Order: sequence, then structure tokens, then C-alpha cells
Amino acid sequence: MSLLSLRGISRTYDDGQPVYALRPTTLDIAAGEYVSVTGPSGSGKSTFLNVLGLLDEPTTGSYRVGSVETVGGGQLLHGAVRGQLFGFVFQAFHLLSGRTALENVEIGMLYGSPRRRQRRRLAVEALERIGLAHRTHADPRQLSGGERQRVAIARAIAGRPSVLFCDEPTGNLDSGNTANVMSLLRELNDQGLTLVVVTHDPDVAAHAGRRLRVEDGEVSER
Amino acid sequence: MKRRDWSRLGLARPRLRGGDLLRESALSTLRHPGRSLVTVVGTVLGAAAYVSTLGLGATMSGQVSSVFDARRATEVVVQPEDAGLDRSWTDGAGQRLARLNGVVRAGSRVAVGERPVRRTIGETGAGTAVPVIGADAEALRVMDPALTAGRLFDRFHDERRVPVALLSTSVAARLAINRVGVAVFVGDDAYTVIGIYHDVARRDEAMAALIVPYALGEELVGADGGGIATRDVLVETAPGAAQIVSRQAPLAIRPEAAEDLRAIAPPDPRSLRREIEGDLTRSTVVLSLIALVIGTISIGNAATAAIAVRAPEIGLRRALGARPRHVFVQLVAETSLLGAAGGAVGALLGILTVSVVALANAWTPSVDLRAALVACAVSTAAGLLAGLVPAARAVRIPPVRALQR
Repeated sequence: MSLLSLRGISRTYDDGQPVYALRPTTLDIAAGEYVSVTGPSGSGKSTFLNVLGLLDEPTTGSYRVGSVETVGGGQLLHGAVRGQLFGFVFQAFHLLSGRTALENVEIGMLYGSPRRRQRRRLAVEALERIGLAHRTHADPRQLSGGERQRVAIARAIAGRPSVLFCDEPTGNLDSGNTANVMSLLRELNDQGLTLVVVTHDPDVAAHAGRRLRVEDGEVSER
Repeated sequence: MKRRDWSRLGLARPRLRGGDLLRESALSTLRHPGRSLVTVVGTVLGAAAYVSTLGLGATMSGQVSSVFDARRATEVVVQPEDAGLDRSWTDGAGQRLARLNGVVRAGSRVAVGERPVRRTIGETGAGTAVPVIGADAEALRVMDPALTAGRLFDRFHDERRVPVALLSTSVAARLAINRVGVAVFVGDDAYTVIGIYHDVARRDEAMAALIVPYALGEELVGADGGGIATRDVLVETAPGAAQIVSRQAPLAIRPEAAEDLRAIAPPDPRSLRREIEGDLTRSTVVLSLIALVIGTISIGNAATAAIAVRAPEIGLRRALGARPRHVFVQLVAETSLLGAAGGAVGALLGILTVSVVALANAWTPSVDLRAALVACAVSTAAGLLAGLVPAARAVRIPPVRALQR
């Protein structure tokens, strides 16, 4: 059974007359897949990722996560899925300054079920997994771009999600750090984590086992 | 069924524990301590104004009642409503009042007015004009002159009409008298000076006077044709009994026509204090409320302005599973914390102010802890109120904002 299942999902912005940001799309993503999404800017790949990540509501269609319909599912369902089943990695990292790397990773589990002591344990584990155990108490401002993105990845995976959504994860990184982050993602996928990576970089997209392309709001397999 | 969809996926209900909420709010607030401090200036001032003025009020009124002459608080004076009232009302008034509970002693006086006083009978000129008071032995002891030299007269002198006189030091100086035993002439009557006093415990008008026994005072009135004499009865009461005695005295002296008499008691120190505090409290509350409103607006403004800057953070929290209500309570908790911190700092400043002022004046500081708690509570409520608008705005920030770059 597929993990994420889209049936006729579309997203329009009603700006006087409706504009399709995402045309009706039907596709399935199975557990353990490594999916890349490419396309020119403004093509709708961000909208696609937002809808997939339950950050945005689709206008039409049905979107099932596991066996559960999410369209019209309400804040409780969406919050629970976003916080516990999904993990997010953003181009701009979005680490909170004034908090250590460890505290930033802990925030990833703040709205879930683990209590504070367990969150700390899981956060330390996640930092070890991404090879930043020695930077646990560093302020994000003291970290390099590559290190910041790895802390952000640690935050996304610390709560043991099933799917990791990455939006231009290497957009702000140099080639050395890009390679570093990509091998980390590879490793996570090897351990069974489902990956959806939006990128404009064909080299980054090449890592994925399955490649999607978005053009004018139309999603297609390549 | 649908409401439990999250549990069908094996997920926990999204939540934000109280401890986590407090921690997150405190961390966010402390992230910009300088900015937070500026925001809470209004509430700090409001709380400080409230606590310090109330504290100073209490301290000063405490001072009022301790400065308040304990002896003067035990004094009651009974006067006729009409100065022309026949002198007979004073007869035996002292004895009748002495039987009342709370009366220590009571006696009659007659103020004769200013009379020419000379050292010798042959002296030329008008003499020195000195107010003369006739007092019986009990009234004299109520006034309680503090003697520099000589002695007081007693009942013997009064009943036998012995011509003796007491002078205050100021009158003695004007008459160039510096010892007892000498004679003074009031009009044509000779008096022997038996005492010189430098202070009186009660009735300041005796501070610059010549005091003679009551019977002789009445004779002086008679000698001058009368009319200008004013009579009163002095009562010394037990501490705290002045108010009650003043209500009973006219009836005790003159049961057949008590309404002709008026008893004057010192103001009740408690009601005096209440009056002072009442005035202070009203102006303080108004002042503090103005500062508090300014404080509320400034916290609300700063929090609203910060929403735009914090949109990515709020989007991130939503992406991490926060429900809109979690964002709402966190922002309200942040402004409430700011208000509480402002109130606490202000209350401390207020207590400090009261202590420093009291210390500088060697007063006993009196700080009402309830006022400090009220200041903190009201400031917290102001912070909560201030957070409602920005929190309502923050809730509308969609999780998508986290991804926008």
C-alpha cells in the first residue's frame, strides 16, 4: 500500500479568475521511496510540496496518508501528521537563534508526545546520527551553512518521521556542503526514510530513485 | 470517527504542555532582553507608582499617628455654644465629669483676656498686657505646665483665694522676672509668683499667659464688669477614650440642657490616617491606571510589530505540528510574562523607593505586600490583554510561511 496517495489533487488561487498553481494530479508515493521534484521557478513545485506536506489545503481531490483521508481533516489531524509523521527541511534552515543546536533539534518534537527528557535523548541521538555530536551546545550563528542545514535535518528526523520533505535543501550551500548533505540524505533513505526533495539542481535530483517534474502546475514522471 | 483520524495513524494528539509553554515563552521573551525591557517600561512605571505611593502614604500616615501628640489625643474641651451663657454651668462640672469612665481628671477655666500687669504698683504707664487665665487645680493639672522654677498651685490656693500666679517664661521675660517669690500686680491686685513654666502639655494658648486660681480669675472678670470672659472645662481622658468622653460630657455637665454645650475632641488618629490614605489611594490608582494603559498599549504594539518578523518562526512551529491555539497561547503567555516581569520589577522599585525615602527621613517604612501583589497581578492581566490582538493575527499565519524564502 502506498504511503501518500493523491487522487485528482489540484490547487487554484482565486485571483479574480482561478489560476492553477497545481493541475489535478494523481500519483502514489510508497514508503522508502526517494523522490525528487524539479522544475523552473514559478512552475508550482513549491505548491506541490506544500500540498504534499499538509502545509497547504488542496482545492479539489483526495489525499490519503496511509489509510486516512486528509482533505478536510482539520487542524488536529494535520498538526499530528505534520509534527509526527512528516519532517521538514527548509532552504533557509529556520533555526532559532539564541538557542543551542540541541534545543533547536528538541523543538522538532515539542508538539508531539515525548516528554522533555525523552526529547533531549532523541535530540542527542539525532545530532549523533548526522555527525554533529561535538556541536551540541553551539549557537546556530556559530555554525557553518552546512552545519546549520544538518542541524535542521536533525530537527526533522529526531522524532522518527516516516517522510522527510526537503525544499531546496542545498540552495544556500556550497558544493562541498551540498555533497555532504546529499550523502546524509542518501544514508537516511537507505535506513528506510521516505524522501521528497524539491530542487532546481539536476545533480541533486540525480540522487533520487524517482524523479518528478513540475511545469505550469503539471506534475509528470521523468 | 473522523475526529480520531490521527490515532488511526498511530499518532499522538498534538499538544503543548504547560511547562513547555512557559519555557518557550520565557526563551522567546529573553531572546531580546533589551527590547523586552523597553516594552515593559509602562507597566514598570505603573506598578512602581502604585506600590511606592501607597507605601509612602502608609509610611507617612504611620508617621502622622506617631507624631500625633499622645497627650493631645487625651484632651477634651467643653465650651458653651453661646459665649454669653451664665457662668453657673461650670460649677461642679469637674466633679461630675470625673465620675465618667475614661475621665482621668477635669476642671474649669476662665480666660479673662488681656490685663495690664506691672512689677510695682507705682509704675508709670499702662503696664504689660498679658492674657490672664483662671484655672482650678484640676484644670491646671490637665494643662500640665512644665516648671522651670517654683511649684504649681493646688486646691488650697483656689478655695482660700490665695493670690498666687504662674508665669510662662515668655511672660516672665517681658516682666524681667527670673525667680519665684516676687510680686506682680494685675490691675491693682498683688499676686505672688510661685512658679515659672516653659511648656504646657495641653492648651497652647497658656504658653504665653499668667495663670491664677479659678476663683480669683472670676473676681478679675467681676472687677472689669465681665462680658469678655470665656469659660471652658478641660478634661484629661484615658488613652483612646477622648471620642466617647466628648459625646458624654455635655450631658454629664448639664443634663437639663446639654445642647447648650459643645465638646471638642481631637481628631481620631485612625480616621485621620484613613483620610490621608483615602486621598492618596484615589490619586495613585488614577496615576497607575494611566501608566498601565500606556504599558498595555506599548506591549501590544511591540508584540504586533514583532509578528511580521516572527512569521517564519510561527510558520515553522505550525509545520512542526503546532495547532493554531498553541501559537495563540504562546504569544499571549509571552506578553503576560512581560507584564508580570514589568509588574514585579515595578513593585520592587516601589518598595525600594519607599525604603529609601523612609530611611532618609528615619521613618518606619510601611510596605503593603498586598499592593505589590496587586500590582503584579494587574500588570500580568495587562500583558495578557495586550497579547490578544497580536496572537489573533499570528494565528492567521499559514504554515506555508515557513517555506517562503
